[in-house]
Amino acid sequence: MSWKETAAPVLTRMPTVSRPQGHVPFKRKIGWTAGVLVLYFFLTNVYLFGLGGQGSSDIYGQFRAILAGGTGTVLHLGIGPIVTASIVLQLLGGANLLGLDTSNPRDQALYQGLQKFLVVVMIFLTGLPMVFIGGMLPASEALGAQLGIGTFGVQVLIFAQLLVGGLLLLFMDEVISKWGVGSGIGLFIIAGVSQSLMRGFFGTGQPKGFFASWFDIIIGKTPLGPVLSGSGLSSLLLGPGNLLALFTTLLIFAIVVYAESVRVEIPLSHAKVKGARGRYPVKLIYASVLPMILVRALQANIQLVGKLLYGQFGNMMPFWEYTQNQQAGLVPTDGLFYYFQPIRSTQWIDALATEPAQILLRIGIDLLFMVVGGALFAVFWVETTDMGPEASAEKIQNSGMQIPGFRRNPGVMEKVLARYIPQVTIIGGALVGLLAVGANMLGTIGQVSGTGLLLTVSITYKLYEEIAEEQLMEMHPVMRDMFS
Amino acid sequence: MSKGQSSGGLMSSAGLVRYFESEDRNAPRIDPRTVVAFGVLFGVLILVLNAL
Repeated sequence: MSWKETAAPVLTRMPTVSRPQGHVPFKRKIGWTAGVLVLYFFLTNVYLFGLGGQGSSDIYGQFRAILAGGTGTVLHLGIGPIVTASIVLQLLGGANLLGLDTSNPRDQALYQGLQKFLVVVMIFLTGLPMVFIGGMLPASEALGAQLGIGTFGVQVLIFAQLLVGGLLLLFMDEVISKWGVGSGIGLFIIAGVSQSLMRGFFGTGQPKGFFASWFDIIIGKTPLGPVLSGSGLSSLLLGPGNLLALFTTLLIFAIVVYAESVRVEIPLSHAKVKGARGRYPVKLIYASVLPMILVRALQANIQLVGKLLYGQFGNMMPFWEYTQNQQAGLVPTDGLFYYFQPIRSTQWIDALATEPAQILLRIGIDLLFMVVGGALFAVFWVETTDMGPEASAEKIQNSGMQIPGFRRNPGVMEKVLARYIPQVTIIGGALVGLLAVGANMLGTIGQVSGTGLLLTVSITYKLYEEIAEEQLMEMHPVMRDMFS
Repeated sequence: MSKGQSSGGLMSSAGLVRYFESEDRNAPRIDPRTVVAFGVLFGVLILVLNAL
Protein backbone atom coordinates (compact mmCIF):
# COMPACT_ATOMS: atom_id res chain seq x y z
CA MET A 1 0.00 0.00 0.00
CA SER A 2 1.48 3.31 -1.00
CA TRP A 3 1.48 6.36 1.22
CA LYS A 4 -1.35 7.77 -0.87
CA GLU A 5 -4.00 5.35 0.38
CA THR A 6 -2.81 5.72 3.94
CA ALA A 7 -2.82 9.50 3.93
CA ALA A 8 -5.84 10.08 1.71
CA PRO A 9 -8.49 10.10 4.48
CA VAL A 10 -6.67 12.92 6.26
CA LEU A 11 -5.41 14.88 3.27
CA THR A 12 -8.71 14.95 1.41
CA ARG A 13 -10.49 16.30 4.47
CA MET A 14 -8.44 19.46 4.86
CA PRO A 15 -10.86 22.40 4.99
CA THR A 16 -10.90 24.51 1.85
CA VAL A 17 -12.39 27.86 0.92
CA SER A 18 -15.37 27.30 -1.35
CA ARG A 19 -15.04 28.15 -5.02
CA PRO A 20 -17.20 30.83 -6.63
CA GLN A 21 -20.10 29.47 -8.69
CA GLY A 22 -19.62 30.89 -12.14
CA HIS A 23 -17.95 34.12 -13.12
CA VAL A 24 -16.93 36.69 -10.50
CA PRO A 25 -17.16 40.26 -11.83
CA PHE A 26 -13.88 42.13 -11.90
CA LYS A 27 -15.09 44.75 -9.43
CA ARG A 28 -15.97 42.12 -6.87
CA LYS A 29 -12.56 40.48 -7.38
CA ILE A 30 -10.88 43.78 -6.61
CA GLY A 31 -13.17 44.09 -3.59
CA TRP A 32 -12.10 40.73 -2.16
CA THR A 33 -8.43 41.51 -2.83
CA ALA A 34 -8.63 44.92 -1.15
CA GLY A 35 -10.62 43.53 1.77
CA VAL A 36 -8.10 40.79 2.51
CA LEU A 37 -5.24 43.28 2.13
CA VAL A 38 -6.84 45.61 4.70
CA LEU A 39 -7.28 42.65 7.04
CA TYR A 40 -3.61 41.78 6.53
CA PHE A 41 -2.46 45.30 7.44
CA PHE A 42 -4.79 45.29 10.45
CA LEU A 43 -3.37 42.00 11.71
CA THR A 44 0.24 43.19 11.32
CA ASN A 45 -0.67 45.83 13.92
CA VAL A 46 -2.21 43.46 16.44
CA TYR A 47 0.48 42.64 18.98
CA LEU A 48 0.59 39.24 20.64
CA PHE A 49 -1.22 39.01 23.97
CA GLY A 50 1.02 37.92 26.82
CA LEU A 51 4.40 39.11 25.56
CA GLY A 52 6.58 40.24 28.44
CA GLY A 53 9.15 43.00 28.53
CA GLN A 54 11.82 43.75 25.96
CA GLY A 55 14.09 41.35 24.21
CA SER A 56 11.66 39.96 21.67
CA SER A 57 14.14 40.09 18.81
CA ASP A 58 13.03 39.59 15.25
CA ILE A 59 13.81 36.04 14.42
CA TYR A 60 13.78 36.66 10.68
CA GLY A 61 15.98 39.75 10.96
CA GLN A 62 17.05 40.78 7.49
CA PHE A 63 14.66 38.30 5.88
CA ARG A 64 11.57 40.04 7.27
CA ALA A 65 10.92 42.04 4.09
CA ILE A 66 10.52 38.84 2.05
CA LEU A 67 8.70 36.76 4.61
CA ALA A 68 6.05 39.41 5.35
CA GLY A 69 4.16 39.62 8.64
CA GLY A 70 5.22 41.81 11.55
CA THR A 71 7.55 41.33 14.51
CA GLY A 72 5.77 40.50 17.75
CA THR A 73 2.34 40.55 16.10
CA VAL A 74 -0.09 37.70 15.53
CA LEU A 75 1.47 37.46 12.06
CA HIS A 76 4.94 37.03 13.57
CA LEU A 77 5.54 33.90 11.49
CA GLY A 78 4.53 35.69 8.30
CA ILE A 79 4.53 33.51 5.22
CA GLY A 80 7.57 31.63 6.57
CA PRO A 81 5.71 28.35 7.22
CA ILE A 82 3.98 28.50 3.83
CA VAL A 83 7.26 29.09 2.00
CA THR A 84 9.07 26.40 3.98
CA ALA A 85 6.30 23.92 3.27
CA SER A 86 6.63 24.83 -0.39
CA ILE A 87 10.38 24.15 -0.27
CA VAL A 88 9.75 20.66 1.07
CA LEU A 89 7.10 20.04 -1.56
CA GLN A 90 9.35 21.34 -4.36
CA LEU A 91 12.22 19.12 -3.29
CA LEU A 92 10.01 16.06 -2.99
CA GLY A 93 8.18 16.81 -6.23
CA GLY A 94 11.32 17.80 -8.12
CA ALA A 95 13.03 14.55 -7.16
CA ASN A 96 9.84 12.70 -8.16
CA LEU A 97 9.45 11.12 -4.73
CA LEU A 98 5.78 12.03 -4.36
CA GLY A 99 4.48 9.95 -7.23
CA LEU A 100 1.58 12.35 -7.68
CA ASP A 101 0.23 13.00 -11.14
CA THR A 102 -1.12 16.54 -11.00
CA SER A 103 -3.33 16.01 -14.06
CA ASN A 104 -5.30 13.36 -12.20
CA PRO A 105 -8.18 14.83 -10.13
CA ARG A 106 -7.68 12.35 -7.30
CA ASP A 107 -3.99 13.24 -7.01
CA GLN A 108 -4.78 16.93 -7.27
CA ALA A 109 -6.92 16.73 -4.15
CA LEU A 110 -4.11 14.86 -2.39
CA TYR A 111 -1.52 17.42 -3.48
CA GLN A 112 -3.70 20.23 -2.23
CA GLY A 113 -4.24 18.53 1.11
CA LEU A 114 -0.55 17.72 1.47
CA GLN A 115 0.24 21.38 0.88
CA LYS A 116 -2.00 22.48 3.76
CA PHE A 117 -0.84 19.70 6.03
CA LEU A 118 2.80 20.67 5.51
CA VAL A 119 2.06 24.32 6.30
CA VAL A 120 0.50 23.29 9.62
CA VAL A 121 3.53 21.12 10.38
CA MET A 122 5.83 24.05 9.60
CA ILE A 123 3.85 26.40 11.85
CA PHE A 124 4.50 23.98 14.70
CA LEU A 125 8.13 23.42 13.73
CA THR A 126 9.00 27.13 13.63
CA GLY A 127 6.53 28.43 16.22
CA LEU A 128 7.14 25.96 19.05
CA PRO A 129 10.91 26.52 19.39
CA MET A 130 10.45 30.28 19.08
CA VAL A 131 8.04 30.41 22.01
CA PHE A 132 9.25 27.59 24.23
CA ILE A 133 13.02 27.26 23.88
CA GLY A 134 14.48 30.14 21.90
CA GLY A 135 13.23 32.89 24.19
CA MET A 136 12.59 35.10 21.14
CA LEU A 137 9.02 35.73 22.25
CA PRO A 138 9.36 35.98 26.05
CA ALA A 139 6.15 35.32 27.96
CA SER A 140 5.01 37.78 30.60
CA GLU A 141 5.53 36.26 34.04
CA ALA A 142 3.31 38.86 35.70
CA LEU A 143 0.39 37.84 33.50
CA GLY A 144 0.96 34.18 34.28
CA ALA A 145 0.80 34.89 38.02
CA GLN A 146 -2.24 37.09 37.57
CA LEU A 147 -4.20 34.49 35.61
CA GLY A 148 -2.86 31.65 37.73
CA ILE A 149 -1.64 29.67 34.72
CA GLY A 150 2.09 30.24 35.18
CA THR A 151 4.61 31.24 32.52
CA PHE A 152 4.04 27.98 30.65
CA GLY A 153 0.35 28.78 30.35
CA VAL A 154 1.12 32.17 28.84
CA GLN A 155 3.55 30.53 26.42
CA VAL A 156 0.78 28.19 25.30
CA LEU A 157 -1.46 31.24 24.78
CA ILE A 158 1.21 32.96 22.68
CA PHE A 159 1.71 29.89 20.55
CA ALA A 160 -2.05 29.53 20.06
CA GLN A 161 -2.15 33.07 18.67
CA LEU A 162 0.77 32.32 16.33
CA LEU A 163 -1.03 29.19 15.14
CA VAL A 164 -4.27 31.05 14.43
CA GLY A 165 -2.34 33.85 12.70
CA GLY A 166 -0.45 31.38 10.50
CA LEU A 167 -3.59 29.49 9.54
CA LEU A 168 -5.44 32.74 8.82
CA LEU A 169 -2.70 33.78 6.42
CA LEU A 170 -3.02 30.44 4.60
CA PHE A 171 -6.78 30.84 4.19
CA MET A 172 -6.46 34.52 3.24
CA ASP A 173 -4.15 33.41 0.43
CA GLU A 174 -6.76 30.89 -0.67
CA VAL A 175 -9.53 33.51 -0.64
CA ILE A 176 -7.47 35.78 -2.90
CA SER A 177 -6.47 32.94 -5.22
CA LYS A 178 -10.08 31.84 -5.69
CA TRP A 179 -12.08 35.05 -5.34
CA GLY A 180 -9.59 37.84 -5.99
CA VAL A 181 -6.76 38.85 -8.32
CA GLY A 182 -3.32 37.25 -8.20
CA SER A 183 -2.10 35.24 -5.24
CA GLY A 184 -2.28 36.22 -1.58
CA ILE A 185 1.35 35.37 -0.87
CA GLY A 186 2.51 37.62 -3.69
CA LEU A 187 0.30 40.40 -2.45
CA PHE A 188 1.59 40.15 1.12
CA ILE A 189 5.17 40.29 -0.13
CA ILE A 190 4.45 43.38 -2.22
CA ALA A 191 2.62 44.98 0.70
CA GLY A 192 5.58 44.53 3.07
CA VAL A 193 8.25 45.59 0.59
CA SER A 194 6.26 48.60 -0.64
CA GLN A 195 5.75 49.72 2.93
CA SER A 196 9.52 49.63 3.58
CA LEU A 197 10.18 51.27 0.23
CA MET A 198 7.78 54.12 1.00
CA ARG A 199 9.32 54.55 4.44
CA GLY A 200 12.77 54.57 2.81
CA PHE A 201 11.74 57.34 0.44
CA PHE A 202 9.37 59.52 2.43
CA GLY A 203 9.99 58.56 6.07
CA THR A 204 10.67 61.41 8.48
CA GLY A 205 11.46 59.37 11.61
CA GLN A 206 14.74 57.60 12.38
CA PRO A 207 16.38 56.49 10.18
CA LYS A 208 15.46 59.38 7.89
CA GLY A 209 13.93 58.70 4.51
CA PHE A 210 15.68 59.55 1.26
CA PHE A 211 13.84 62.83 0.66
CA ALA A 212 14.00 63.96 4.29
CA SER A 213 17.76 63.48 4.42
CA TRP A 214 18.24 65.30 1.11
CA PHE A 215 16.10 68.16 2.43
CA ASP A 216 18.51 68.40 5.37
CA ILE A 217 21.49 68.35 3.03
CA ILE A 218 20.08 71.13 0.86
CA ILE A 219 19.22 73.45 3.75
CA GLY A 220 22.67 72.76 5.16
CA LYS A 221 21.63 70.89 8.29
CA THR A 222 23.61 67.82 7.30
CA PRO A 223 27.10 68.77 6.07
CA LEU A 224 28.30 66.66 3.16
CA GLY A 225 31.91 67.85 3.23
CA PRO A 226 33.92 68.51 0.07
CA VAL A 227 32.25 66.40 -2.58
CA LEU A 228 35.43 65.46 -4.41
CA SER A 229 37.24 64.17 -1.33
CA GLY A 230 36.98 60.55 -0.27
CA SER A 231 34.77 61.16 2.75
CA GLY A 232 32.51 63.59 0.86
CA LEU A 233 32.02 61.09 -1.93
CA SER A 234 31.26 58.34 0.55
CA SER A 235 28.63 60.41 2.37
CA LEU A 236 27.10 61.38 -0.97
CA LEU A 237 26.89 57.81 -2.25
CA LEU A 238 26.41 55.86 0.96
CA GLY A 239 25.84 57.86 4.13
CA PRO A 240 23.15 60.54 4.22
CA GLY A 241 23.18 60.97 0.42
CA ASN A 242 22.25 57.35 -0.34
CA LEU A 243 22.59 57.91 -4.09
CA LEU A 244 23.96 54.41 -4.66
CA ALA A 245 20.87 52.83 -3.09
CA LEU A 246 18.62 54.97 -5.28
CA PHE A 247 20.61 53.95 -8.33
CA THR A 248 20.40 50.22 -7.45
CA THR A 249 16.68 50.41 -6.77
CA LEU A 250 15.96 52.04 -10.13
CA LEU A 251 18.36 49.71 -11.95
CA ILE A 252 16.73 46.57 -10.54
CA PHE A 253 13.35 47.96 -11.48
CA ALA A 254 14.46 48.56 -15.07
CA ILE A 255 16.25 45.22 -15.43
CA VAL A 256 13.29 43.17 -14.21
CA VAL A 257 10.78 44.96 -16.43
CA TYR A 258 13.14 44.48 -19.39
CA ALA A 259 13.88 40.84 -18.56
CA GLU A 260 10.15 40.11 -18.35
CA SER A 261 9.96 40.85 -22.05
CA VAL A 262 12.99 38.78 -23.08
CA ARG A 263 11.75 35.50 -24.48
CA VAL A 264 12.21 32.79 -27.05
CA GLU A 265 9.07 32.54 -29.13
CA ILE A 266 8.14 29.22 -30.66
CA PRO A 267 5.84 29.70 -33.65
CA LEU A 268 2.55 27.84 -33.60
CA SER A 269 -0.16 27.32 -36.17
CA HIS A 270 -3.59 25.84 -35.82
CA ALA A 271 -4.02 22.35 -37.17
CA LYS A 272 -7.52 22.91 -38.54
CA VAL A 273 -8.04 26.66 -38.89
CA LYS A 274 -5.78 27.91 -41.66
CA GLY A 275 -4.09 31.23 -41.04
CA ALA A 276 -4.56 31.10 -37.29
CA ARG A 277 -1.09 31.61 -35.95
CA GLY A 278 0.36 32.09 -32.53
CA ARG A 279 3.50 31.96 -30.49
CA TYR A 280 4.46 30.03 -27.43
CA PRO A 281 6.69 32.29 -25.32
CA VAL A 282 9.50 30.80 -23.26
CA LYS A 283 10.41 33.73 -21.04
CA LEU A 284 13.97 34.34 -19.85
CA ILE A 285 12.74 34.45 -16.30
CA TYR A 286 10.53 31.53 -17.22
CA ALA A 287 10.14 30.20 -13.73
CA SER A 288 9.77 33.80 -12.62
CA VAL A 289 11.56 34.95 -9.52
CA LEU A 290 9.33 32.99 -7.16
CA PRO A 291 11.89 30.17 -6.73
CA MET A 292 14.20 32.87 -5.38
CA ILE A 293 12.07 33.25 -2.30
CA LEU A 294 12.60 29.56 -1.65
CA VAL A 295 16.38 29.97 -1.64
CA ARG A 296 16.17 32.98 0.67
CA ALA A 297 13.73 31.19 2.97
CA LEU A 298 16.20 28.30 3.13
CA GLN A 299 18.86 30.75 4.30
CA ALA A 300 16.41 32.29 6.77
CA ASN A 301 15.70 28.86 8.20
CA ILE A 302 19.43 28.13 8.56
CA GLN A 303 19.82 31.38 10.52
CA LEU A 304 16.78 30.46 12.60
CA VAL A 305 18.40 27.16 13.56
CA GLY A 306 21.59 29.04 14.44
CA LYS A 307 19.78 31.42 16.76
CA LEU A 308 17.88 28.60 18.42
CA LEU A 309 21.11 26.64 18.96
CA TYR A 310 22.72 29.74 20.47
CA GLY A 311 19.72 30.24 22.74
CA GLN A 312 20.08 26.65 23.91
CA PHE A 313 23.83 26.13 24.16
CA GLY A 314 25.46 29.58 24.08
CA ASN A 315 28.51 30.15 21.89
CA MET A 316 30.02 27.04 20.43
CA MET A 317 32.92 27.58 18.09
CA PRO A 318 33.78 26.65 15.40
CA PHE A 319 30.08 26.38 14.58
CA TRP A 320 28.59 29.59 15.88
CA GLU A 321 29.34 32.74 17.83
CA TYR A 322 26.73 35.41 18.39
CA THR A 323 26.94 38.94 19.74
CA GLN A 324 24.07 41.03 21.07
CA ASN A 325 24.00 44.19 18.97
CA GLN A 326 22.18 47.36 20.07
CA GLN A 327 20.54 48.01 16.71
CA ALA A 328 20.37 44.71 14.93
CA GLY A 329 19.76 42.42 17.92
CA LEU A 330 21.45 39.05 17.89
CA VAL A 331 24.00 38.80 15.08
CA PRO A 332 26.36 35.97 14.18
CA THR A 333 29.96 37.15 14.32
CA ASP A 334 31.88 34.00 13.57
CA GLY A 335 31.54 30.32 12.76
CA LEU A 336 29.47 28.41 10.27
CA PHE A 337 26.32 30.50 10.60
CA TYR A 338 28.29 33.71 10.12
CA TYR A 339 29.46 32.50 6.73
CA PHE A 340 25.97 31.37 5.74
CA GLN A 341 24.56 34.81 6.55
CA PRO A 342 24.02 36.66 3.28
CA ILE A 343 25.98 39.88 2.85
CA ARG A 344 23.83 42.89 3.27
CA SER A 345 23.87 46.46 1.92
CA THR A 346 27.11 48.36 2.15
CA GLN A 347 28.45 47.07 5.44
CA TRP A 348 31.13 45.16 3.56
CA ILE A 349 32.78 48.20 1.96
CA ASP A 350 34.33 49.42 5.22
CA ALA A 351 35.43 45.91 6.11
CA LEU A 352 36.98 45.31 2.69
CA ALA A 353 40.16 47.23 3.60
CA THR A 354 40.73 45.37 6.87
CA GLU A 355 39.74 41.82 6.03
CA PRO A 356 39.37 41.37 2.28
CA ALA A 357 39.67 37.58 2.36
CA GLN A 358 36.76 37.23 4.77
CA ILE A 359 34.51 39.50 2.73
CA LEU A 360 35.36 37.78 -0.53
CA LEU A 361 34.70 34.38 1.03
CA ARG A 362 31.30 35.48 2.30
CA ILE A 363 30.36 37.04 -1.05
CA GLY A 364 31.47 33.82 -2.73
CA ILE A 365 29.31 31.66 -0.46
CA ASP A 366 26.29 33.90 -0.90
CA LEU A 367 26.76 33.93 -4.69
CA LEU A 368 27.12 30.15 -4.77
CA PHE A 369 23.99 29.76 -2.68
CA MET A 370 21.89 32.12 -4.77
CA VAL A 371 23.14 31.23 -8.26
CA VAL A 372 23.21 27.45 -7.84
CA GLY A 373 20.19 27.46 -5.53
CA GLY A 374 18.29 29.78 -7.87
CA ALA A 375 18.93 27.56 -10.90
CA LEU A 376 18.12 24.37 -8.97
CA PHE A 377 14.85 25.63 -7.52
CA ALA A 378 13.85 27.13 -10.88
CA VAL A 379 14.21 23.65 -12.43
CA PHE A 380 12.17 22.07 -9.64
CA TRP A 381 9.60 24.85 -9.91
CA VAL A 382 9.13 24.26 -13.62
CA GLU A 383 8.71 20.54 -13.01
CA THR A 384 6.20 20.79 -10.16
CA THR A 385 4.07 23.56 -11.67
CA ASP A 386 3.69 21.74 -14.99
CA MET A 387 5.66 24.22 -17.05
CA GLY A 388 8.19 21.65 -18.24
CA PRO A 389 8.54 20.46 -21.86
CA GLU A 390 6.27 17.45 -21.44
CA ALA A 391 3.42 19.31 -19.74
CA SER A 392 3.70 22.29 -22.10
CA ALA A 393 3.62 20.05 -25.17
CA GLU A 394 0.51 18.43 -23.81
CA LYS A 395 -1.16 21.81 -23.31
CA ILE A 396 -0.28 23.05 -26.79
CA GLN A 397 -1.50 19.80 -28.31
CA ASN A 398 -4.81 20.06 -26.44
CA SER A 399 -5.35 23.61 -27.61
CA GLY A 400 -5.25 22.32 -31.19
CA MET A 401 -2.06 24.11 -32.12
CA GLN A 402 1.11 22.65 -33.61
CA ILE A 403 4.62 23.76 -34.48
CA PRO A 404 4.71 24.32 -38.24
CA GLY A 405 7.05 21.94 -39.99
CA PHE A 406 6.81 19.26 -37.33
CA ARG A 407 4.55 16.27 -37.03
CA ARG A 408 1.52 16.94 -34.83
CA ASN A 409 2.53 14.72 -31.97
CA PRO A 410 3.15 15.55 -28.29
CA GLY A 411 6.41 13.61 -28.29
CA VAL A 412 7.80 15.58 -31.22
CA MET A 413 6.63 18.84 -29.72
CA GLU A 414 8.21 17.91 -26.40
CA LYS A 415 11.56 17.42 -28.12
CA VAL A 416 11.38 20.88 -29.70
CA LEU A 417 10.40 22.50 -26.41
CA ALA A 418 13.14 20.58 -24.58
CA ARG A 419 15.67 22.44 -26.70
CA TYR A 420 14.70 25.68 -25.00
CA ILE A 421 12.89 25.29 -21.69
CA PRO A 422 15.59 23.64 -19.53
CA GLN A 423 18.35 25.95 -20.76
CA VAL A 424 16.27 29.09 -20.42
CA THR A 425 15.14 28.04 -16.93
CA ILE A 426 18.67 27.47 -15.66
CA ILE A 427 20.04 30.67 -17.17
CA GLY A 428 17.08 32.65 -15.85
CA GLY A 429 17.31 31.20 -12.33
CA ALA A 430 21.05 31.84 -12.10
CA LEU A 431 20.64 35.36 -13.48
CA VAL A 432 17.99 36.27 -10.95
CA GLY A 433 20.21 34.92 -8.16
CA LEU A 434 23.11 37.03 -9.40
CA LEU A 435 20.89 40.11 -9.55
CA ALA A 436 19.63 39.59 -6.01
CA VAL A 437 23.15 39.31 -4.58
CA GLY A 438 24.33 42.33 -6.56
CA ALA A 439 21.42 44.47 -5.37
CA ASN A 440 21.99 43.37 -1.79
CA MET A 441 25.63 44.38 -1.92
CA LEU A 442 24.98 47.82 -3.35
CA GLY A 443 22.08 48.42 -0.95
CA THR A 444 18.53 49.43 -1.75
CA ILE A 445 16.26 52.22 -0.59
CA GLY A 446 14.48 51.32 2.64
CA GLN A 447 16.70 48.23 3.12
CA VAL A 448 14.19 46.08 1.26
CA SER A 449 16.96 43.75 0.01
CA GLY A 450 17.61 42.74 -3.55
CA THR A 451 15.37 39.69 -3.43
CA GLY A 452 12.50 41.73 -1.97
CA LEU A 453 12.78 44.26 -4.74
CA LEU A 454 13.06 41.61 -7.46
CA LEU A 455 10.03 39.79 -6.11
CA THR A 456 7.99 42.96 -5.83
CA VAL A 457 8.68 44.24 -9.31
CA SER A 458 8.08 40.87 -10.91
CA ILE A 459 4.89 40.12 -8.93
CA THR A 460 3.54 43.60 -9.67
CA TYR A 461 4.23 43.07 -13.37
CA LYS A 462 2.36 39.75 -13.30
CA LEU A 463 -0.49 41.35 -11.42
CA TYR A 464 -0.68 44.06 -14.06
CA GLU A 465 -0.84 41.45 -16.81
CA GLU A 466 -3.54 39.58 -14.96
CA ILE A 467 -5.64 42.71 -14.38
CA ALA A 468 -5.32 43.62 -18.07
CA GLU A 469 -6.50 40.12 -18.97
CA GLU A 470 -9.40 40.39 -16.52
CA GLN A 471 -10.54 43.69 -17.98
CA LEU A 472 -10.40 42.27 -21.47
CA MET A 473 -12.68 39.48 -20.35
CA GLU A 474 -15.07 41.98 -18.80
CA MET A 475 -15.35 43.76 -22.11
CA HIS A 476 -15.94 40.69 -24.25
CA PRO A 477 -17.71 37.75 -22.63
CA VAL A 478 -16.57 35.68 -25.64
CA MET A 479 -12.98 36.12 -24.48
CA ARG A 480 -13.77 34.19 -21.32
CA ASP A 481 -14.02 30.96 -23.28
CA MET A 482 -10.76 31.62 -25.05
CA PHE A 483 -8.80 32.24 -21.88
CA SER A 484 -10.25 29.53 -19.74
CA MET B 1 -6.67 40.06 -31.06
CA SER B 2 -5.43 37.03 -32.93
CA LYS B 3 -6.36 33.62 -31.79
CA GLY B 4 -2.75 32.64 -31.26
CA GLN B 5 -2.27 35.21 -28.56
CA SER B 6 -4.53 33.23 -26.29
CA SER B 7 -1.71 30.71 -26.10
CA GLY B 8 -0.12 33.17 -23.68
CA GLY B 9 -2.77 32.02 -21.27
CA LEU B 10 -1.19 28.61 -21.29
CA MET B 11 1.66 29.91 -19.19
CA SER B 12 1.03 29.08 -15.60
CA SER B 13 1.28 32.05 -13.29
CA ALA B 14 0.96 29.86 -10.27
CA GLY B 15 1.39 31.30 -6.83
CA LEU B 16 3.36 29.55 -4.16
CA VAL B 17 0.33 27.53 -3.11
CA ARG B 18 -1.57 25.81 -5.88
CA TYR B 19 -5.29 25.24 -6.00
CA PHE B 20 -6.87 22.91 -8.50
CA GLU B 21 -10.28 22.99 -10.07
CA SER B 22 -11.27 19.59 -8.85
CA GLU B 23 -11.55 19.22 -5.14
CA ASP B 24 -12.56 16.35 -3.01
CA ARG B 25 -16.17 16.40 -1.97
CA ASN B 26 -15.23 15.18 1.50
CA ALA B 27 -13.41 18.40 2.38
CA PRO B 28 -15.33 20.85 4.55
CA ARG B 29 -16.07 24.10 2.70
CA ILE B 30 -15.45 27.50 4.25
CA ASP B 31 -17.17 30.61 2.96
CA PRO B 32 -14.64 33.36 2.15
CA ARG B 33 -16.75 35.75 4.23
CA THR B 34 -16.17 33.47 7.22
CA VAL B 35 -12.40 33.73 6.77
CA VAL B 36 -12.44 37.53 6.68
CA ALA B 37 -14.96 37.85 9.52
CA PHE B 38 -12.99 35.44 11.66
CA GLY B 39 -9.79 37.38 10.99
CA VAL B 40 -11.38 40.67 12.03
CA LEU B 41 -12.94 39.18 15.17
CA PHE B 42 -9.71 37.47 16.14
CA GLY B 43 -7.74 40.71 15.73
CA VAL B 44 -10.26 42.69 17.75
CA LEU B 45 -10.28 40.03 20.48
CA ILE B 46 -6.50 40.23 20.89
CA LEU B 47 -6.63 44.03 20.87
CA VAL B 48 -9.25 43.99 23.63
CA LEU B 49 -7.24 41.46 25.66
CA ASN B 50 -4.15 43.66 25.33
CA ALA B 51 -6.10 46.76 26.39
CA LEU B 52 -7.51 45.13 29.52
